[in-house]
Amino acid sequence: MVRVRLERVSKRFGRVVALKEVTLEFEDGSFSALLGPSGSGKTTLLYLIAGIYKPSTGRIYFDDRDVTMLPPNKRNVGLVFQNYALYPHMTVYENIAFPLRLRKLPKRVIDEKVREVAKMLHIDSLLDRYPSQLSGGQQQRVAMARALVKEPDVLLLDEPLSNLDALLRVKIRAELKRLQRDIGITTIYVTHDQSEALALADKIVVIDSGVVQQVGTPEEVYNNPRNLFVAGFIGSPPANLLTGRVEKGSGCAIVAGQRVCPDLPISALLELLEEVIVAFRPEHARLDEAPGGAGMVSFEGEVYAVETLGRENIVTLMVDSVPVKVITPPDMMPREGSRMFIVVPVSKLKFFDPKTELNLEYLAGEHGETTGMQQRG
Amino acid sequence: MLSLRGLFSRREGRVEERRDVETVSVTRRTIVLSAILGAASLPLVLVYVLLVLTSFSKDVVTGVELLQGRGVEWTLANWAALLSGQLSTILPGTVTVNIYSAILNTLLIAFGVMVVVVVASTLAGYAFSRMRFPGRRGLMQFIILLHAFPGVALLIGVYMVYLWLLNAFFARAPGLRDAYVIAYTILARASLEIPMSIWLMKGFFDKIPWEVEWSALVDGASRLRVWWEILLPQVKPGIAALAIFSFLAGWEDFVYVYVFTYLGTGGRMFTLATLIEQLVSRIETAELPLAAAAGVLYLLPTLIFFILTQRLLLEAYAGGVKG
Amino acid sequence: MRLRIRPELLVFLAPAFTLIIVFFVAPLILSFYVSFTHLESWDLRDMRLWTAENRTLLYNYYRLFYMLTHDPDMQKVVLTTIAFTFITLVLNVLGGLGLALAAYLIEERLSTLFRSLWLLPRLTPVAVYALLWYYFFLGGPQGTLNALLMALGVIRKPVDWGFASPPLGPWAVIIYVNALVGVSFGMIIFYSALKSVPWEHVIAARVDGASTLQVVRYILIPSLRWHIMFVTVWQLLSLLTTYAHIFLLVDWGLVDRWWSTTWSLYVFMKAFYTGAGETTDQGLAAAAATILVAIGAALGLITLRLMRFHEAMTEPRGEV
Repeated sequence: MVRVRLERVSKRFGRVVALKEVTLEFEDGSFSALLGPSGSGKTTLLYLIAGIYKPSTGRIYFDDRDVTMLPPNKRNVGLVFQNYALYPHMTVYENIAFPLRLRKLPKRVIDEKVREVAKMLHIDSLLDRYPSQLSGGQQQRVAMARALVKEPDVLLLDEPLSNLDALLRVKIRAELKRLQRDIGITTIYVTHDQSEALALADKIVVIDSGVVQQVGTPEEVYNNPRNLFVAGFIGSPPANLLTGRVEKGSGCAIVAGQRVCPDLPISALLELLEEVIVAFRPEHARLDEAPGGAGMVSFEGEVYAVETLGRENIVTLMVDSVPVKVITPPDMMPREGSRMFIVVPVSKLKFFDPKTELNLEYLAGEHGETTGMQQRG
Repeated sequence: MLSLRGLFSRREGRVEERRDVETVSVTRRTIVLSAILGAASLPLVLVYVLLVLTSFSKDVVTGVELLQGRGVEWTLANWAALLSGQLSTILPGTVTVNIYSAILNTLLIAFGVMVVVVVASTLAGYAFSRMRFPGRRGLMQFIILLHAFPGVALLIGVYMVYLWLLNAFFARAPGLRDAYVIAYTILARASLEIPMSIWLMKGFFDKIPWEVEWSALVDGASRLRVWWEILLPQVKPGIAALAIFSFLAGWEDFVYVYVFTYLGTGGRMFTLATLIEQLVSRIETAELPLAAAAGVLYLLPTLIFFILTQRLLLEAYAGGVKG
Repeated sequence: MRLRIRPELLVFLAPAFTLIIVFFVAPLILSFYVSFTHLESWDLRDMRLWTAENRTLLYNYYRLFYMLTHDPDMQKVVLTTIAFTFITLVLNVLGGLGLALAAYLIEERLSTLFRSLWLLPRLTPVAVYALLWYYFFLGGPQGTLNALLMALGVIRKPVDWGFASPPLGPWAVIIYVNALVGVSFGMIIFYSALKSVPWEHVIAARVDGASTLQVVRYILIPSLRWHIMFVTVWQLLSLLTTYAHIFLLVDWGLVDRWWSTTWSLYVFMKAFYTGAGETTDQGLAAAAATILVAIGAALGLITLRLMRFHEAMTEPRGEV
């Protein structure tokens, strides 16, 4: 169990910059998620920690040990690949035993450990089978077992659930979280699924185009997105974004015809801008036939579509030809084309500078700067 | 047709080949393994180099003279003799041979084999790849099996046919006779390559998507036209590889030219291969440098082809066998 | 399935199949026939079945059998064939494997250089290749090996390698010369297979803790199992039927005549060679050849099965 630290790590492949000056720290025993879209560099980052890639610049530390140049076989990490990479010519038992065999442990010890790990992951009945005879979920567990059997210092998971069907994914997710708690191993989990990251991780690193966008707890990342990318990526459905014009001198902005007046210090920062982007989450808004009262802002929009999800509905409305989504109780099903008000508490609004794409709250220093936050792009 | 250069030049921006983790140094093991490989390759390199050196020397070069600083008596006499058809530098005029005829015969046979193999196997390969006919599977198995047969067993029968045809039709027409010998040698040698060449071309044709032909066939084109105008251009690399290999097969052959052009004509016709055989089996040791010159001459096209198409050869060779 | 052979099909298949019939099928039958005849000097008009001379049809085969049990030269041929085939086979497969692995593990450019170099013998004209080694193993002081070893002080007098300590000397020469050609086949096949090993398996092994040697042993070589089997059988076949290089070395007097003759070379020389006081006997040669064909056919069938032929052979699409 180690603390993993990256210092100004960059990775270039030829002319392509996969990662740019990444500085991050992963606490001992924590469960962190690297969250980002395809091509964001998250798998590259994982492979750098594993020792598969060598950083173009920067250094990597496990506790106080500089492991930057060390090959994977000297780092004691466990890695679960996205497509499992099980050795096809070995049985499940042999796959799991492989890391221990390489260390030349006595047979008895190997057998003991393999069976222990297999039992923990509920695959002890599959030990004689070959990978081709297993289902996706079973293969995934074998890959996990192989990674865990050598009691690594760090556990790395590359989208381990993305090849599984939705039901299985949710089931295994809970088991994973429990497992990590029990073992207490520093875990880094790569995913493009934001709900997965929110569900599993103690800390989320949001990454895009090789640059870290925000580091924070799920709560922080969800409620206080640092920039437009995070706001638009986290949450399902993601936050609604509306562009408005700043009304100089009043500390307010005009958004979709409505006057929005935030409190200090945001109102002070507004003065510095010409335009502002306002964001709010679908679940913080409600639909009404009449505009809301004090402390609320009401945007008028035309109902475009209604999606019924059973537990709730998602209603999409067009506000000045910009789609806005609102989550409503399941019995609310307005007619398409009808005009309604989207009522949001002003306190739930987030304000972003269109040029830097940063959340104004962060500019005001409302939230502590944690390592790894850089300008977007 | 694409220019030769265009056919063989590498495409820009190749995908980075990944074989291992980046954190393991390739350099160290490269040095160790290269040293071992180099040591094993030493005799191989040595013999080729010495052959070239010997051809320019009065006596056989063993390399030791150079190491001991004794120096070698360099001379062009071997080449002069060879290229003027004299088979002896010591006693010029005693044994002569038409060296240019030997070269020509070798060239003819090589080209002949190339043409025959390419034509026959691109035609048949297409049929096996695309057409449905009874016994298709069985026939293909039969072909592979044929390749497994010992050539020497066939040789007796092939020679019989050769003799029979020779006596039956060509005994009284000396001019035609030589042409017959060359033609027969070409056909016999080419046949050896046919089974595998069909398999190779079939492999290349298999890779072309069906849709490409379907529209042409639907438009009413005949199979032959589809083959000629649509498919052949797409398997050009395959044809090129096959052409090179079959040319080399014809060029470097010994057994067939020995049996048919040499034995079959009572020692009258020569090719470079049989010339070298005679040079060494008949003349004393002192003429070995002359034989070396003949060897280098014979080796030249191989070396040239080799250097020009190095990479292509390596990949095409593997591609064909994978099937 | 229509049985009518369409004319178009004929055009495509005719050239290849004519050649096959004339130069494979017919000769095979003819050779087989000759093995029952008394053909000695290629005098076709004088070719008669043994039964016409009051002997059994299988007379040639009996003669062979007699020679195998009584003629020491013939016994040398059998021993040489066995030794040559199996030792060269091992060298070819292991050598090819070693070359392929080494080429795989080192840098690309050097790798290409070495692979090309080891492909050279296969592409060199047969006569030239034999000539190269003729100079090398020449028995006198101008033989390259002799000169080098004498200069190094390892030996004091030149050694006639092709005749030294029979059968060891002759065998060593013919095995070495052929092995250098043979390894390239395995090298190419194994190298190509190695390049197809998925990168994920190699890096997974690295993460599991494998050193380079362990990656080779546990990941790379196991992925070559089928290829090793294929190369072994195919090379076994080739070695049984290869004789061109050896013929030249025997013809040029570099190696002992009987300790360097493999079965296929015996057939060849018995059928065609009139040098050095030898007589030809095509009937006998054909009988010996037929035996070789039987072995070749058996091995060919094994190869076919190994190549998992039926899976490789896909049916053509479309009903045309």
